[in-house]
Amino acid sequence: MPKLTIAQNILAANDTYAAGIRQLLAPRGIRSINFMSSPGAGKTTLLERTIRRLRVKLQIGVIEGDIETSADAERIEAAGASETCQINTRGNCHLEAHMVQAALDQFDLDRVQLLIIENIGNLICPNAWDLGEDLRVVITSTTEGDEKPAKYPQMFADAQVVVINKLDLLPYVDYDLEKVRRQVLALNPHLRIFELSCRTEEGLDGWCEWLENFARGEI
Amino acid sequence: MHELSIAQSIVEVVEATAVENRASQVNSVRLLIGDGSGVAIEPLIFSFEMIASMEPLLSGAKLLIERVPHRARCRKCATEFIIPDFVVICPACQVWDCEVISGTELQVLEMEFDAESEEEEQLCQN
Repeated sequence: MPKLTIAQNILAANDTYAAGIRQLLAPRGIRSINFMSSPGAGKTTLLERTIRRLRVKLQIGVIEGDIETSADAERIEAAGASETCQINTRGNCHLEAHMVQAALDQFDLDRVQLLIIENIGNLICPNAWDLGEDLRVVITSTTEGDEKPAKYPQMFADAQVVVINKLDLLPYVDYDLEKVRRQVLALNPHLRIFELSCRTEEGLDGWCEWLENFARGEI
Repeated sequence: MHELSIAQSIVEVVEATAVENRASQVNSVRLLIGDGSGVAIEPLIFSFEMIASMEPLLSGAKLLIERVPHRARCRKCATEFIIPDFVVICPACQVWDCEVISGTELQVLEMEFDAESEEEEQLCQN
């Protein structure tokens, strides 16, 4: 029976799209972020608050990934994103690079300085797909329990930034912030951690300042 | 359940190669899967068999999987070690400055197939 060597990366087709996205964004000076978290950690709310604060200084384009509905893209547009596109994956548990490329085809890239891709709420699957991003941000929150980094290590190990949201709820939940910091840094000591509350806006100044510097290429 | 998408990608890679090489039936596909790739083997096999059963060229094809340990090398003392649960700390000198050297592979290595017979080929041409 004939045998044939293939020796090809299973996700090669995705990686080709991701490389194409980098080639599209880099010459324009557009930096990009892949936002990931479990469902309900506050990705969209963080985006809303961030865009409201930065919209006068920075043109932010957002690709919203959801299984169904365009509710999030509408929220983000109302907050003042310069360009938005909703991707509905109809059941698929993660975004893939070809979906991001299709969304970017609809963007006027002259109106985008920072691109944020909000992935499907899921701490496992999105990790395997490179979307052509410069940076991975994982959002976790005090209502999810304080063992998320230990239980989903790969997602945290491969990120560069972790945001701990819903700090205002700390008095009401059994959440050991120091334990989470330790778990996160044990997986990746170079990770940058932001602790904030989208509701009270505590900690948002530092996050927005950092994000603006990142978008301008200063980080 | 991203194994379904991974399985779909495997089927696409194998099918393209099979058509290019005039295979009439693919019997097995050998993969290299790293322990740090985040892919669960059982759902991957289940998904592959399900998708393959719908493709005449791949129907009944077996998935053979070679695992690759998730390993790192310390940049300070050069100790090589297996990474436990994604915590990449050197067990000898406790430093974090380690390079992952294997275990993230997601590769289609090879396939075994039946070639189209010349008779069939002639039939196709006619």
